[in-house]
Amino acid sequence: MSVEYNCILIRFGEIFLKGHNRKFFEDLLICNIKSALKPLKYTFLRSQGRYYVEDAKEETSEIVSRLTRVFGIHSVSPAVKVRTDEEELFKTAIAMSPMTGKFRVTVKRADKRLPFTSAEMAGKIGGALLKASGGKLKVDLFDYDFELNVDIRDNGYSYLFYDKIPGAGGLPVGCSGSGMLLLSGGIDSPVAGWLMAKRGVRLNAIHFHSFPYTSELALQKVKDLAARLSGYTGGVKLFVVPFTEIQYAIHEKCPESFMITIMRRFMMRIAERIARREECGAIITGESLGQVASQTMQSMNVTNSVVTLPVFRPLIGFDKEEIIDISQKIDTFDISIRPYEDCCTVFLPKNPVIRPKIGEAVEYENRLDVDALIEDAVQRTTEEFITSK
Amino acid sequence: MIYFDNAATTAVIPEAAETVVRYMTEKYFNPSAMYHEGLSVKNDIERARAGILSRIGGAQGKLYFTSGGTESDNLAFFGTKKKKNSRIIISEAEHAAVYQSAMVLKQNGFDVCMAPVDAHGAVDTDAFKELLNENTSFVSVIHVSNETGAVNDIVKLAEITKRAAPGALFHSDGVQAGGKIRINLNGAPIDLYSLSAHKIGAPKGTGALYAAKNVHLNPVIVGGGQEGGVRSSTENTAGIMAFDAAFAACTEKLNESFSNVSFIHDYIRSALAFADDIKILSPESGSPYILSFCSGSVRGEVIEHAMEREGVLVGTGSACSSNKATRRIPEALKLKGGYAEGIVRLSFSRFSTPGEAEAFVVKFKKVYEELKSHVG
Repeated sequence: MSVEYNCILIRFGEIFLKGHNRKFFEDLLICNIKSALKPLKYTFLRSQGRYYVEDAKEETSEIVSRLTRVFGIHSVSPAVKVRTDEEELFKTAIAMSPMTGKFRVTVKRADKRLPFTSAEMAGKIGGALLKASGGKLKVDLFDYDFELNVDIRDNGYSYLFYDKIPGAGGLPVGCSGSGMLLLSGGIDSPVAGWLMAKRGVRLNAIHFHSFPYTSELALQKVKDLAARLSGYTGGVKLFVVPFTEIQYAIHEKCPESFMITIMRRFMMRIAERIARREECGAIITGESLGQVASQTMQSMNVTNSVVTLPVFRPLIGFDKEEIIDISQKIDTFDISIRPYEDCCTVFLPKNPVIRPKIGEAVEYENRLDVDALIEDAVQRTTEEFITSK
Repeated sequence: MIYFDNAATTAVIPEAAETVVRYMTEKYFNPSAMYHEGLSVKNDIERARAGILSRIGGAQGKLYFTSGGTESDNLAFFGTKKKKNSRIIISEAEHAAVYQSAMVLKQNGFDVCMAPVDAHGAVDTDAFKELLNENTSFVSVIHVSNETGAVNDIVKLAEITKRAAPGALFHSDGVQAGGKIRINLNGAPIDLYSLSAHKIGAPKGTGALYAAKNVHLNPVIVGGGQEGGVRSSTENTAGIMAFDAAFAACTEKLNESFSNVSFIHDYIRSALAFADDIKILSPESGSPYILSFCSGSVRGEVIEHAMEREGVLVGTGSACSSNKATRRIPEALKLKGGYAEGIVRLSFSRFSTPGEAEAFVVKFKKVYEELKSHVG
């Protein structure tokens, strides 16, 4: 291609469906786009339900890579922007064309004042390409090698482009409120967070750290995962809860088989405490039904019963392989498989209870000073705002 | 802070650091340059080479500078000629640099055998003998075990090798031996010997491979033909000169350091008897610089982190129970159950003090009792 892309066209997805609230969604999306493109210099334009990023100094590929991580964007296209002028359009179309193979030209004419229809203009541009190629190009409207799109806007400019690169889809982060993600360091929890962020949830994350049973490397892994998620959400507030004392207490006073169940009830309680303080509307976990003993219906009932905030489990019906596929797509897999212990593998019972009952858990917890343990852990919790940069 | 992980790496000693600065800011010239300054640096490198060779009793052989112990081991494995599909013997408790090199040769069709080690990590001579046959082309046995400090009698093993397979080459990884125990390759049937600089107070990034007089090495890294064409790349003059300075300093105090470190080793060793679920892995007659033990009830990693909180840095044998690569050594030492995951390695330097040993014992007892009360 002998002409450079000078503009990126952004189409948004589901926001189209919104009625009176559309402005709220759009403002949020634009804010998220601008945050994702920081600190690059560019001109941002809105026109007829599309956005344009123009005059950027940065490589087009870098901008595209950042934009395709912004939830709410349906697709983006690197484009060449020219004045709407027949000769200019022909010249640019020729410069962009590979000059061999089968093609079609699709014109969309928003500017209805122009003295030609979209089909007529497509024919004219197609004709110019055919002539310039000296017979090497062929028109085929259905079975084509490339499709040149020409959007003629009502601002006196036209945009020529080939690719529609799929965006991340979903809704702009923040439009659905905030959530508190239980982030362990494994494969599942970052995927769960990503899926909820895709539905517009701003992410906070909470990690339970069992030093000296888990290392600083394990904590670094969680921070790296949060940084990866930040690439999609603009930032993640990470809360690190010291968990060793609680594990000691459970280990000492409760039956081994209930270790994980009671541990998870503590995690949920602490997550809810901090979630409410941070004005989160839900707790998010990476649980998938039946994956391990603590993820049976009965176990989830017992751990769920200590909180009143809704608990979102976006992976509940996913197979492990499906989860891994997403984790690879969002680049968290390589971090998740770093071989460090997480707090759940410490004091791991040989035979964890698979169908615990709430009554039993409550009975065992009566042996502990639950409130004091939680208060102490929350007091010593640290927080850090993690960005992708 | 008490630093008992000197087998991982050491602090750079002032003499070595000063040498580095001098060769980076004053004598920075390319040793291959034809002007006087270049030649002068080249002569310095040759002096360092001769100095290191003399300290290992290798004056009859050659020394090639490399980027470290790992590269030296790789060069020994991949730079030597070996008959196709012939037998290669390494010990079960080799450092990963040797083990992984052997695994590459195994994939290439060589018959790689592992010589078993005893519970202290030293090669079992009788079992070793049985593996040798006429078809053996290469043997590699670590001199001082980086896991336990066990010292293999490499001269004897090399002699046995040459009797059974006269054409075979004998290599030893001497990374934990150099500058710490007496090495004398003079007259020994040892063909190749690896050394590293950063274990004895020089910076990371420098090592050397000794090759006996008639051993031919093909380059693994090609280029400008430095190091006699065996290892191209502009010489790391600062690293090489610092290596020489550190090695000289260690050798000068070798006996004195050995007895000081032995005192520390023995002190902690006997103090560890307080716990009935701690087994000492290091042999009594090994290198005093390493003291390995394992706990049957607390994972090594947990001890490491708990000691870290007390300001004591130690090493572990096993990074994580779920990590397959870390099971090789515990299996070789035939450790069972919790002991396999409970390895802790203390490693000292000649600057370690009895006071540090005492403080270590106090802190360790406290930490260990505490950890055990929770997991026991």
